[in-house]
Formats: sequence, C-alpha cells, structure tokens
Amino acid sequence: MAVNTDKGLILIIDDEESIRDGCKQALEKSGHVVLTAENGKEGIRIARESKPEIAFVDLKMPSMSGMEIIDILSRDIPDIVSIVITGYASIVSAVESMKKGAYDYLPKPFTPDQLRAVAKRAFEHRNLKMETRMLRDEKEQMEKNFITFVSHEMRSPLLVIEQYLEALRAVAGRCLDKNANDIIERCNKRIQGLKALVEHWLDISHIESGIFEPEKNPVDISGIITRSVEEIAPLYHIRELSIETDVSDDIPEVTGDGESLMRVLTNIMGNAAKYTPSGGKVSIRAGHDEYYVSISISDTGMGIPKEKLPFIFEPFYSVKREGEEQKGSGLGLNFCRKIMEAHGGKIEVSSQVGKGTTFVLKFPK
Amino acid sequence: MTARKKILLIDDDRDFLMATKIILESGGYEVFLAEDGKSGVEMVKSVSPDLTITDMMMETWGEGFAVVSKIRSIEAGKDMPLIMLSGVDLQGPYQSFEPSEESPRVDLVLNKPVKADDLLKHVKRLLG
Repeated sequence: MAVNTDKGLILIIDDEESIRDGCKQALEKSGHVVLTAENGKEGIRIARESKPEIAFVDLKMPSMSGMEIIDILSRDIPDIVSIVITGYASIVSAVESMKKGAYDYLPKPFTPDQLRAVAKRAFEHRNLKMETRMLRDEKEQMEKNFITFVSHEMRSPLLVIEQYLEALRAVAGRCLDKNANDIIERCNKRIQGLKALVEHWLDISHIESGIFEPEKNPVDISGIITRSVEEIAPLYHIRELSIETDVSDDIPEVTGDGESLMRVLTNIMGNAAKYTPSGGKVSIRAGHDEYYVSISISDTGMGIPKEKLPFIFEPFYSVKREGEEQKGSGLGLNFCRKIMEAHGGKIEVSSQVGKGTTFVLKFPK
Repeated sequence: MTARKKILLIDDDRDFLMATKIILESGGYEVFLAEDGKSGVEMVKSVSPDLTITDMMMETWGEGFAVVSKIRSIEAGKDMPLIMLSGVDLQGPYQSFEPSEESPRVDLVLNKPVKADDLLKHVKRLLG
C-alpha cells in the first residue's frame, strides 16, 4: 500500500549506512517521509509497495547497479523521479544514467543543503510533469466531447431542414411551379453536400483523435467491390456511365474494416463519376503481387493536371475544373488516405489530362 | 364519412415533430404530438391512437425501446402498429430490424429524414 504524505515520499537506495542515515535525517528535517534500502532488490520491493515520488539511487553498489535499478523503477513506478548518487563524480556515468531515465545526479560528497536543493527541484519537476499530463488528458477529453457535440449539433438541424423540405413538397409540391421545385431541389443538394462534409469531418476527427480503430476482420475484396458497385450504380445510371469489374480469382483476403474500406471505394467511384463525361467508363480491377493486394479504379474522365496531383489528398484541396457542377466536401480523399494508412496500406494516383485518372489502393500482404 | 385515423408522434425535437406532422396531415391523418417518452405513453392512454411513430429516443437504443415496452404494456398500445425512427444511419444487423422475443414489438424502423412518400406509404400499409 502506498504511504500517503503531503510532503512527499522519498526512497534512498544506498549500500553505505552513513549515507542512508545522513540523507534520511537531512530530508526528514524539511518534512519529507523517507524510506531506505541497502541494496537494489530491497529498494525495488519497497518502491513497488510504497510508490515513492522521488528515489535517490547510488550508482555503484555490489549486487545490482544503480543503472539497472533506475531502469526498473522508471518502468514500474508511474511518475517516479530518480536521482543518481555518484561516488566518483564522473560526468560520463551521470549522463549515462540520465539517458536511462534519471532526472538529475548528485556527486558525493554533498552537504545536506545540496541534497535538499536537489530534492526540491525533483519535486517541482514531478509536479510539472503530472500537471502536464493532466492538462493533456483534459485536452484529449475536450476534443472527444467536441467531436460528439458537433456531431449532434450539426446533424440534427440538417436533418430537420431536410424533413421540412419533405413537408413542403408534401403539402405544396403539386401547386409549385417548376422554378420553385427546382429551388427545393437545389436546397436539397446543398444540404447533402453539407451532410457529406460533416460526415467526413467526423470520420477524420475520429481517426485523428484515436477514437476510431479499424476493425481487424478478414475482408473479402471481391465482396466489397460488388457491394460498392451496387451502392453506386444509381449514380452511374443517372450520369450514363458504364462500370466494369475484373477481380482475379485467387485474390487473398485482407485484414481490416470492411465498412470503412467500402466507403473508400464508393468515395473514389463517386469522384470518378463526377469527373467523367457521360458515355465514359470506370474500370475496377483487383489483383495481387508478391507484396501487395491492390484495387485500382480507372476512369476515362478529364484527368488531373500533373502539378496538382501531389496535393489532392490534402484536406480542403480542390482541383478547380471547368464545368464542375458540384463541389465536393474537400475531405473525401483525405479520408480515403487516412483509412488506407490505418490499414497499413496506401493510396496512389496517376492521371493524364484528357484521358483519365487511376487510383490504386494497396494493402500489404 | 369515417373518422380520420389518429397518429401519435413522439420525438424530442419540436421542429422534427412539426415537419412530420405536416407530412402526415397531408395524407389526411389526425396527428398528436409528444415531446418526450413519458408524455407519449400518457397520450397513448388518453388518445388511443391508431398508430404511433416514435424516435429511437435520443442517444441510446435502450431508451427508445423502454418507451415502446411501456406502450405495449398498456391496453391501448398492445396491438397498435408502431414505427420507430432512427436518427443514426442504421447499419449492419439493424438495417433489417426483426423484433426478437425479448424486445417489444416494433413493426418498422425507418431512418431520419423520412421521405414523405415513403412515410405515407408505410403508414397506409400498417393501418391496413
């Protein structure tokens, strides 16, 4: 059980009795509670039991070296601050021990005042460290809450607006002329765009804050391609585009999150549809080589200029294209890249203006 | 002339209630509104609706089903057709919601927002 003390609990591990007693006296004088141990084994046992805040450890002891002890202490005791007592005031060994996780060193011989000064600094350091961690945790929690808040506060009004537009259509649809109905349709389109933006932003926030962890299930590539094609088929029909798939029979399963991978696919297929003139074709191929399982999505669209290719996966980067009816959320490809990275894979693009664009999703084997 | 069929709508968003009420009224139904589960249950008793549409109730599944359980335990709500609306996109197993032995009977689960035509079509079918 940890000994509770406001003044701070200190452990001294030193094989010299005179040092142990001297330190104990000096530190108790400034109100600290001091435990002592004469070798590493005992010191570690006491540390695990009492969870001291500060430990002074003699660097040179017969059975277990100070370095080893510090190594174990910093691994086992959360937030412990270790200080090395070094008999031979060697800078080299002091530096070495600080690399191992010691906060400071105290060369022998030292006066009680020097000892107390080092202890005081160590406590200050510890407090700062803990405060920093607390603030960081708090910040993380706030970020998570913010994401949940935005999710709810942005989605709800959008949903209500959509429902009102439906109500408007239900009561007045037939009485309204074409212009008015067009206006309702435009509103709907813009709401869909905003909804997509919120969804993508949420997805990306989830990934960045570490809330999202992709599931690690076996994913049947052929299956997710088929389902994605089914999902996107109405859009392709409207835009008069043909879609063609070619999946090699022996394609291995990949490990990952089927739902998010499907969204990556539909995202890219949606882009392809947006930038390919009617009558065009989108081909989806899946295969594998020694290193990767790959899915490629090629369109016969307008292509992306070479100088813009490096930026298309950046958030809110949008390639301005002539005749573009609808701007995307600006986060779709960023989302795709993040999902692929979360799967240990990558996404690549190649394009020729006027001929078409190919995206390749690669999963490590 | 037969009396208009009565539909009870339970949702915690007043605007959503209003919008959905307009849609249902355009289909010729008489619509009653409740802004929370408790008053919804009370209104099942006092109004004896022919059909109830309830939100999945805020954040959790549990709460929505708790309201449905209460409604089902009332005589007026025992056999009444009931539609549940979900604000989150239903995915996976929930997409085709099948009432199980333990869960109270829900006749249909729809995603918000609901298309006016869809809603009226389903309501008409359930009211047979």
